[in-house]
Amino acid sequence: MSKVPNDPLLQVETTCGSLLYELQIIWDEVGESETERDKMLLELERECLEVYRRKVDQANRCRAQLRQAIADAEADLAAICSAMGERPVHIRQPDQSLGSLKEELRAILPQLEEMQKRKCDRRNQFVEILEQIQKISNEIHMYSEYTLSRTIVDETDLSLRKLEELNRELQALQKEKSDRVKHVLDLLNTLNSLCLVLGIDFKETVIEVHPSLGNDYEGTKNMSNETIEQLTTAIQRLREIKIKRMQRLQDLATSMLELWNLMDTPIEEQQMFQNVTCNIAASEHEIMEPNMLSVEFINQVEAEVSRLDELKASKMKELVLKKRTELEEICRKTHLIPESDSVVEVAIEAIESGAVDPACVLEQIELQIAKVKEEAFSRKEILEKVEKWLAACDEECWLEEYNRDENRYNAGRGAHLTLKRAEKARALVGKLPGMVEALASKTTAWENERGIEFSYDGIRLLSMLEEYTILRQEKEEERKRQRDQKKLQGQLMAEQEALFGSKPSPMKLQNGKKGPRLSTGGASTRRLSVGGTMLQTPKADPHSIKSTPNTRQAKKSDRLLHPIEQLKHPRDDACPALSAGGRDSDVAGLPLRNHSLNAVNAREVESPMRRKPFSPISSTESSKSHAITNVMNDLNRKQNEMLQKTLKGNNSQFSTPSKILSAGEEENWTPKAMPIHMPPTPSTVSVPMQTVMTPAHPPIPYNRVEETPEEIEYSFEEKRAGFVLPRTTHLKTPIQV
Amino acid sequence: MAVLPLVAGRELSSPPSDGISNLRFSNHSDHLLVSSWDKRVRLYDASANVLRGEFMHGGPVLDCCFHDDSSGFSAGADNTVRRLIFNLGKEDILGRHDAPVRCIEYSYATGQVITGSWDKTLKCWDPRGASGQERTLVGTYTQPERVYSLSLYGNRLVVATAGRHVNVYDLRNMSQPEQRRESSLKYQTRCVRCYPNGTGYALSSVEGRVAMEFFDLSDSGQSKKYAFKCHRKSEAGRDIVYPVNAIAFHPIYGTFATGGCDGYVNVWDGNNKKRLYQYSKYPTSIAALSFSRDGRLLAVASSYTFEEGDKPHEPDAIFLRSVNEVEVKPKPKAYPTPAS
Repeated sequence: MSKVPNDPLLQVETTCGSLLYELQIIWDEVGESETERDKMLLELERECLEVYRRKVDQANRCRAQLRQAIADAEADLAAICSAMGERPVHIRQPDQSLGSLKEELRAILPQLEEMQKRKCDRRNQFVEILEQIQKISNEIHMYSEYTLSRTIVDETDLSLRKLEELNRELQALQKEKSDRVKHVLDLLNTLNSLCLVLGIDFKETVIEVHPSLGNDYEGTKNMSNETIEQLTTAIQRLREIKIKRMQRLQDLATSMLELWNLMDTPIEEQQMFQNVTCNIAASEHEIMEPNMLSVEFINQVEAEVSRLDELKASKMKELVLKKRTELEEICRKTHLIPESDSVVEVAIEAIESGAVDPACVLEQIELQIAKVKEEAFSRKEILEKVEKWLAACDEECWLEEYNRDENRYNAGRGAHLTLKRAEKARALVGKLPGMVEALASKTTAWENERGIEFSYDGIRLLSMLEEYTILRQEKEEERKRQRDQKKLQGQLMAEQEALFGSKPSPMKLQNGKKGPRLSTGGASTRRLSVGGTMLQTPKADPHSIKSTPNTRQAKKSDRLLHPIEQLKHPRDDACPALSAGGRDSDVAGLPLRNHSLNAVNAREVESPMRRKPFSPISSTESSKSHAITNVMNDLNRKQNEMLQKTLKGNNSQFSTPSKILSAGEEENWTPKAMPIHMPPTPSTVSVPMQTVMTPAHPPIPYNRVEETPEEIEYSFEEKRAGFVLPRTTHLKTPIQV
Repeated sequence: MAVLPLVAGRELSSPPSDGISNLRFSNHSDHLLVSSWDKRVRLYDASANVLRGEFMHGGPVLDCCFHDDSSGFSAGADNTVRRLIFNLGKEDILGRHDAPVRCIEYSYATGQVITGSWDKTLKCWDPRGASGQERTLVGTYTQPERVYSLSLYGNRLVVATAGRHVNVYDLRNMSQPEQRRESSLKYQTRCVRCYPNGTGYALSSVEGRVAMEFFDLSDSGQSKKYAFKCHRKSEAGRDIVYPVNAIAFHPIYGTFATGGCDGYVNVWDGNNKKRLYQYSKYPTSIAALSFSRDGRLLAVASSYTFEEGDKPHEPDAIFLRSVNEVEVKPKPKAYPTPAS
């Protein structure tokens, strides 16, 4: 302190000395005691020391702070450097002194600042990379909560090594991502192709798995494990469907091919389904055509197959029927009697119901055909002879006819041809007996050989021949008788001529005799037509034309010839006796009259107890046992009667029915039902056609009306409707409008 | 005898619920008009098996017929003749009889509707003047008895009535029957149908018989007529005889089907006097038959016709049978015709 040369201190010291001097003077003046003076001076000295000590402390504290700041800065720097993995730039050598503390601090601060700036940069880099990683892993793993947690950067390690590490991680993630994208796209492609083949909407399927997959633009598709798994299962599922459908389609294709082969389906029809059948042996991955396995397509194919199936069923039926007609045709040609129709009907019905395999039936029929053919072969020789014989019979018949024609020698057109034919026919007829004999012996031999009867259209040929022979004999006798008679007549005529000198026309005589002599109805019909009465054209009665030499005798043989024929028809001019018989049997059925009209009821018809009225029907029918129904006889008889009577009675309507009544009385039960006064219809008089020509006569027996107030006839419908004929209407006179 | 499964053909769905009185195919399509005792007329599309329409009347419907594909006519037990318009589901009344109307026909030759009734009259109607009875009624023609069946061919009309009367009219002169006849059969007439060639008619009776008649009154014409027995069953030597309810001619071949209360449908060849086919038995009586316009379909009404009064019976049904040519085509005679 003493050594301080500088002025202020010096001054302070001076000031202190002068003050002390001044104090001394004061004390001297005051006369202060020495002790007092010493005390005061000590106090002064103590106070001064105090001040000094305080200042020193203060300076000391300041120095410590400075040191602290430097140390802090150094520590910061060191921390940053270590975090960044760099060697610290500034390492202070303990011996090396750069100067004062303040200098030191000034030197370190910029370094620190720079390091801090670098650290900040580094940190940003880290954040960036981490964010990327975050994003990608989010895409891959779908963890949304991850976002926040990972972006916090670990401040303690911002080293380049760490950065490198993160970069690698990022790259790995990026690779994984691209792999996944590729995988997903692959799966989607597969799915797409499957959907195409199966005809399923691809987009829908995909959106079902994950909505993002439906996006058209790339890159934003979800690719989490879950999605991939779902995609895989979807593919698996579709593949299973595909396999199933493929098998179904192949099954269908197989049956289709079979049906085609069976039915010879035309190529054009096949063409449409060619793509189906070409895949018949394809494996699952080979079927790639769009919509090849769609439900609609399969349905379509299925429909085609079922259509073909149906077609097959009908074709089968057709085939069976065709075969059947073939069989019938062969039978017809060989004059065999085919099996009854019911067999094929049964077969067809069975086919329709599916009870029997049509193929089986077909086989049976084919077997039958083969059998019949074989038999036909054995019959051939005899049949040829039969044909010849029948043809000869035809000629014989014609010849007979021809011989009866008085104008046969008239020189008309073609007369020479007829003459020639007659000549030939005569020769043929001469050969006939021999022919029959030969045929009979052949047939007998055949029958002996086979042990079965030789039938011709169901009739034994031998019996036919026999009948013919008998017929011929009869005819021969007839002819003889005729010749005798002619001779007699010739004598008579000669006598007459001798007496009167004239000759009766031979034609008349011939005519008069010929009628009764003719044995067959057919011939007489023809006679009429030849006679030119125009009443019957030759066509009018096909059955009379049909009558053959071998059957000309009677309907017995006619029946034999047509055993199949159910509908019998009347031969009006054939047998008056029979028609009379029919009439009688009708009369026999008369008890019916006394029954109420309800007896027509089927119930009563069916119950045997009450069926009495109907029994005559069967008995009379069976008693007749010939082709003519009694109804027809009735009809013809009535018609004839009517014609005669009405012609006689002209337009007097009343007289006509009353005459008929005697005949109709017994059997005509219906009219009783109608107690109606038949109106005298005068208008009919003006139109004689109606009354004259109608075979039916007014069926109302006027006289009986009052006598029989019986029940009225009602139809089923009237009974059901509860319709009752009002009595009053009977009194009304119907007015013709 | 082994019972075969019934192959009666396809059965129409939603059939009438009570006795079927008649059914007819349209002349233009496969539409089928059906009248029945359940007071309804139904229109079916037979090929599609669909019920197209239904008309409800005041009483049982005894007959129906087509006008064209869009309209038809019905005859009711409520004495009323109605016109039905299918696509509108509308009906209007043409007029009335004094008793239930049994049968109805539409004549394409005259454009008239002809009805026959149990009031013993025939009435002709003009369906075009559908404005009150005085306009539509063309004429009333008294018949000797209740009308049971009608059939038309061109201008010819055959009327069969109770009491076995048969009147043949010319539609151009209805004042008098052209011919008055008595049925050749001894029992009540069930059905009469003209031949498709117009030369005559077939007439069936309740006693299992059908008569084939000809219009030609000359001897040669009348010599062709005949009658035959059918729809019978022989049991222990006795014939059980069934009514023949329906006759339907095949439009192409001229052969015809008959249906009886025995539940059988038979197909006949009238010219060759042969039975061509017998279909397997139907559940109950055959009430009506109709061939479609091309003859490929046969509609069969299997429906109890009340022949034995009110009794339990099989449900009413309509069967559609596709007709095979073999079943209806006339067969040439299978035996030689010597002495030609």
